[in-house]
Amino acid sequence: MEWLLWFTRFENTKPLSLVIFFLVFCGILFYVFGSKKRGEKLESYKNIPLQDDEI
Amino acid sequence: MATASIATAGVGTSEQYNYDIIRKFAIMTFIWGAIGMFVGVYIASELAYPFLNFDNPYITFGRLRPVHTSGVIFGFGGSALFATSYYVVQRTCQARLFGGEGLANFTFWGWQAAVALSALGYMFGYTQAREYAEMTWPVDLLILFVWVAYLAIYVGTLLKRKQPHIYVANWFYLAFILATALLHIFNNLQVPVKLFSLESYSLFSGTQDAMTQWWYGHNAVGFFLTAAFLGMMYYFVPKQAGRPVYSYRLSILHFWAIIFLYMWAGAHHLHWTALPDWTGTLAATFSIMLLLPSWGGMINGIMTLSGAWDKLRTDPVIRFLIVALSFYGMSTFEGPMMSLKDVNALSHYTDWTIGHVHSGALGWVAMITFGSMYHLVPRVWNTQMYSVRLINVHFWLATIGVLLYITAMWISGIMQGLMWRAFDDFGNLQYSFVESVAAAHPFYVMRAVGGAFFLAGMILMCYNMYKTIRQGSTEAHAGLNVAAA
Amino acid sequence: MKHDKIERNLGILLVFTMLAISAGGMVEIIPLFFIKETVEKVEGVRPYTPLEQRGRDIYTREGCYLCHSQMIRPFRDEALRYGHYSLAAESKYDHPFQWGSKRTGPDLARVGGKYSNDWHTQHLIAPRSLVPQSVMPNYPWLATTELKYDDIQDRLKSLRRVGVPYSNSQAEYQRNVEEFGEDVAKTLHIPDAQKNLEAQAQSGNYDTDPSNITEMDALVAYLQVLGTMVDFKKYDDDYFVKFR
Repeated sequence: MEWLLWFTRFENTKPLSLVIFFLVFCGILFYVFGSKKRGEKLESYKNIPLQDDEI
Repeated sequence: MATASIATAGVGTSEQYNYDIIRKFAIMTFIWGAIGMFVGVYIASELAYPFLNFDNPYITFGRLRPVHTSGVIFGFGGSALFATSYYVVQRTCQARLFGGEGLANFTFWGWQAAVALSALGYMFGYTQAREYAEMTWPVDLLILFVWVAYLAIYVGTLLKRKQPHIYVANWFYLAFILATALLHIFNNLQVPVKLFSLESYSLFSGTQDAMTQWWYGHNAVGFFLTAAFLGMMYYFVPKQAGRPVYSYRLSILHFWAIIFLYMWAGAHHLHWTALPDWTGTLAATFSIMLLLPSWGGMINGIMTLSGAWDKLRTDPVIRFLIVALSFYGMSTFEGPMMSLKDVNALSHYTDWTIGHVHSGALGWVAMITFGSMYHLVPRVWNTQMYSVRLINVHFWLATIGVLLYITAMWISGIMQGLMWRAFDDFGNLQYSFVESVAAAHPFYVMRAVGGAFFLAGMILMCYNMYKTIRQGSTEAHAGLNVAAA
Repeated sequence: MKHDKIERNLGILLVFTMLAISAGGMVEIIPLFFIKETVEKVEGVRPYTPLEQRGRDIYTREGCYLCHSQMIRPFRDEALRYGHYSLAAESKYDHPFQWGSKRTGPDLARVGGKYSNDWHTQHLIAPRSLVPQSVMPNYPWLATTELKYDDIQDRLKSLRRVGVPYSNSQAEYQRNVEEFGEDVAKTLHIPDAQKNLEAQAQSGNYDTDPSNITEMDALVAYLQVLGTMVDFKKYDDDYFVKFR
């Protein structure tokens, strides 16, 4: 369990968390806004709550 | 004839969806809301006029305060979340609740028993003495069982959905269920005194215990009182406005950012304590970052109304929902600010914190619940609201109540912080502690009055709902008779 | 085929959500259990005696933590008002911790020894007879309710199970003698818990009525030990800074 101590040092955790957070954020950003076609598909889902009355 | 067609439609829907469980939870939402807020007003009055403790152990401030917090968070908020999540998941999946009547009813009776037993327990002095997690260990176990059933129902219903896509509101509800399970388990590790004793000692002690508790405490706010109610927002705001949410892509971004960032922020409750500094600094950094997704979500909700702003004037239900979002934006700005170490040095331990909690709890959680319930109740009982005018009155009572409350707490909180750290010309403390207590008195009165306004609105809502439900049942009855004839 | 994909999506959603919500807690909490610097090395901090522990149970039962903190911050005004800032070591035997989050009343981390037993008893029975502006409830029943301590051994055993060094065997007793000295070690011995509790209540005379042992005895005994275990004269102030 000694390796966990690495995470307690600020000089390690700061850049690490920054890198991880930033990469994941970029990933989501790309997924969401990266392609116009996917964007349109995602936006079409917002009508789901409004369609439920018809069924 | 019109009644007949509505009623047959009603029978049809109730076959398609399990509305019975939603009705039960909705009714308990109103009952716990009234009880929890009444206790809140009472303990606020005890702080203004201590004779109200009446030398009676069962109603002293220290024992009633957890009754208030559990009553409003788990009784009112919890029941509202069960009701709306069961409603949203069934309608956005076009599938009936998984697990049948039995499992859903188990979550209902189990949850109500847990809240009632913990509230009674506190009055008799049975508590774990962990803020917002005071329930004794048998109640903790009951909650765990209920929660596993809840997760099973939710995931099961999602699995049998007819919609290929899972609507974003369900993501928020799902994250809330998972996170609450995680928090509940790890914050309630304890060893009972004896097998048949309600008392227990926590597994962790001191610093580790403090960190675990505030990791729980903060994320109970983050997931129970925020993420889950955002799920409510993403369904009921578009429904009531009759138009889709502003941007679905923004809501995806909002979801991932908020559930990731929230979990880091708990240690800001422990600034300047014996907790190692790095934890607090990390938590403050993430608290500041939280501002972005929080405001993203608020903008997404409010902009849903763009192009239909006149609804704010005509529809009091929309007004509840949008004002809730505004309070959400305000308290998610205030929160990160209070997590800065220098601000926290002044605000911590004072009434400012209480004011901040209530601008979130009354302004955001309760208001979004009121709006959603005014939308949901007429639909599951197949009728119209008894009185729209009373909804309007409720709106104003609630708004005035919140504003009085948070103004009183801002003033008394900042005043306390400044009085405690004031020095005279000789470098001595300028005020004794009790002078700050005496100075807070007028604001404690003002806070109790604000709370009373809010409670009055809640009771009005109970009356309006009672009338609506009665009307719904009679109509359904009449409809059935017509259909039979 | 299509159904397969749908289920996978929900699975992916569940897994990613769990990952996202676990990261923060893991990074902030787990290290606290492994870092030696989290809790300072200081002399004097010991587990509570049976009577003090029962007093602590009453403190938690009555919800005192909702209005009183037990955590002094390192500021000049708090040093003047309450004393030396609180150390992590001072609450290392506290199950659960009682740092609190609100000061409707003053901090109690170092209230021990500041007032007499008589003062505490009178103050708990009727706070406004001593501090007219106080908003604290009266607790008259503490002075009239007999302290229940037939289960004191079970309580100490539970605390021992969660890591508090109460001794249940001769070997554990010897270890406590080495760590805390003989006088303290005696009070931590579980088989003698009842006897020790009665003896402390008799000799301490906390509620000013020696004829019986009440909840007041226990609570005042607890209040009087708060913050008194560490002798700060022994340490330079710089010593504690490096642990923060």
